[in-house]
Amino acid sequence: MFQYTLRRLLVALPSLLGVLIIVFLMVRLAPGDPALLLAGEFADAATVERIRERFGLDDSYLVQFQRFITGVVQGDLGRSTRTSRLVTEDLADYFPNTVELAAASIVFALLVGVGLGIVSALRSNTWVDALAMVLALVGVSMPTFWFALLAIRFFSVEQGWFPVAGHGTLAHLVLPAVTLGLSSTGIIARMTRSALLEVLGQDYVRTARAKGGTPGSIVFKHALRNALVPVLTVGGLEFGSLLAGAVITETVFNWPGVGRMLVNSILARDYPVVQGAVLLIAVSFIVVNLLVDLVYGLIDPRIRYD
Amino acid sequence: MTDRGEVKERPAAPAAEPHAQDAPGARPADDARRRGRRPGGRRPTGRWRRRLARNPLAILGIGIIALFLLVVAFAPFIAPYRAETQNLRTTYVPPGAGVSFRGPEGQPGLWVSPVTRSPVGGVSVDASQAYPVRLFQRGPEYTWLFGLIRSDRHLFGVDGPVRFHLLGTDEQGRDLFSRIVYGAWISLFIGLISVGIGVGVGAPIGAVSAFFGGWVDMVVQRVIDTMLAFPGILLAIVLVATFGTGLTNLMVAVGIAAVPIYARIVRGSVLTIKNQEYVEAAGALGRRRMSTLFRHVVPNALAPIIVQSSLQMAIAILFAAGLGFLGLGARPPQPEWGLMLARGREYLAVAPHVATFPGMAIILVVLGFNLLGDALRDALDPRK
Repeated sequence: MFQYTLRRLLVALPSLLGVLIIVFLMVRLAPGDPALLLAGEFADAATVERIRERFGLDDSYLVQFQRFITGVVQGDLGRSTRTSRLVTEDLADYFPNTVELAAASIVFALLVGVGLGIVSALRSNTWVDALAMVLALVGVSMPTFWFALLAIRFFSVEQGWFPVAGHGTLAHLVLPAVTLGLSSTGIIARMTRSALLEVLGQDYVRTARAKGGTPGSIVFKHALRNALVPVLTVGGLEFGSLLAGAVITETVFNWPGVGRMLVNSILARDYPVVQGAVLLIAVSFIVVNLLVDLVYGLIDPRIRYD
Repeated sequence: MTDRGEVKERPAAPAAEPHAQDAPGARPADDARRRGRRPGGRRPTGRWRRRLARNPLAILGIGIIALFLLVVAFAPFIAPYRAETQNLRTTYVPPGAGVSFRGPEGQPGLWVSPVTRSPVGGVSVDASQAYPVRLFQRGPEYTWLFGLIRSDRHLFGVDGPVRFHLLGTDEQGRDLFSRIVYGAWISLFIGLISVGIGVGVGAPIGAVSAFFGGWVDMVVQRVIDTMLAFPGILLAIVLVATFGTGLTNLMVAVGIAAVPIYARIVRGSVLTIKNQEYVEAAGALGRRRMSTLFRHVVPNALAPIIVQSSLQMAIAILFAAGLGFLGLGARPPQPEWGLMLARGREYLAVAPHVATFPGMAIILVVLGFNLLGDALRDALDPRK
């Protein structure tokens, strides 16, 4: 296991470096003077010069990159050109909200998705199965923001059950979490169905049946345990992408997370914040994937020896 | 049936006669020919098509995509009005306003009365006049096929001085149905460009990476890992943030976001194919490696590319709509569906239909490509 962990860590390192390079290049490849981009469009000439000096934008890319990495490692991502707040402070304020939303979504997606998948697998090739799978596919095909708008209109404006937007109470969390979790629900439902169908066809399930196990005990005690291993992996990976997919949902529901922060800063051309948000989302995606890999190796020992 | 009939007419023919023996033997081949197959065996390429044709979900997907393509191709004819024509006296007209199924004298058909937005809110219908909706009605003039054809015939329209808004109007009084119809090509174009960039760049990278292995593979894989470290839509957002918003950049961005996916898929299939005997044989016959790769290996890696391309069309259309919705993609007044939805969001309480219908269009098209992609994956799966 130690070797496996080490190998996974080593594989993640180049990705991290690559993400840093891309975030570094974002400002330098964008059309226009990077000093002007980093200073903001309303900065005066003196500020622009100060930024140029501070980031050494006249030095070679290699020197600049080295300085950039040093900054990132020391937790210095610069300041917002709009609010002059430290980017790291903003991220620290907003990131927990994004994690909260993504966590609620994945819980919803796992509960509904696995349930739908089980029903589908047990009634495979009936109309129940077809209906569940078409529903799952619609969930994957639906633009989240469209569902969000309909949900806001129906549940918030007409019924008044949930607040229209914002953050704070549990009621604020419901609509955004369901919206964000919808496509993952579809993916997890399809995964559960195929995994369960595969396991149900295996010899040990037949043995359990021959020994006189009830259908319930066969599914829940024997089949589901093994079928859920790949499902949980997909769930973990989905959690990682939910952290990034929250961009649209957060904007629609005005949820104070990193995604909304990213969109607002792009529209305002606030590049230090864009860099910080992209870096944080990509790094947390890598870390989540790494953790999923490690947990997978822990649950299923066969994985470690590939 | 004639074959069998002939055989039956000669039941008494001695078995020793050669042509009598031939007849029953030839039957399977004839059957096969009648069903459009080569005699002597099933063609492997025909099998997946039949499997596809037997899957109702595949038919549904193909039907949706066919409809979508028809709408793109005949947009000016199908849309009763131009996408940009505004009318500030008929803003947010809900679908069905001023429409009745009986004429002034009780005639059947679809009749439209003039509708105006009243200053106090709501719409007022002038029921004293009504004009019939007719098929192939004359309307605004348009050119089609890059200006080759000029016409003013539309699929349907009102025979009279009013406008018929099948799906209502938006905040500037533009006909929502016409805008959705004209917006279809944007979605198709985004999908095609995205798939084109993904396949055109990703597939060769993946193929070369797998085929040559060694340090080439190593370097390419790390680059792809990095690109995949940006989940889904984020890579497109990063690219748009770097190179600027707008439809062109958006299409390129969504395309580049697809590159690592294709590279990985093609790498996987090339790795399994490259050790097969026929590839080895090509090498033994003295073919150069590049030529072996593109003549023998790549064609056999096509199935997963085709499957992914259908799914990628769906992903690209969704991404583009999402970015358009966020204000990072198409710009007003382009009739891009995501952008239309974003505008509709502001008037959700007054006119929910403005946001509802473009969303339905997106779902339908995305669902179509997802259904087809799924069905293709099942049909092309060699294990079945």
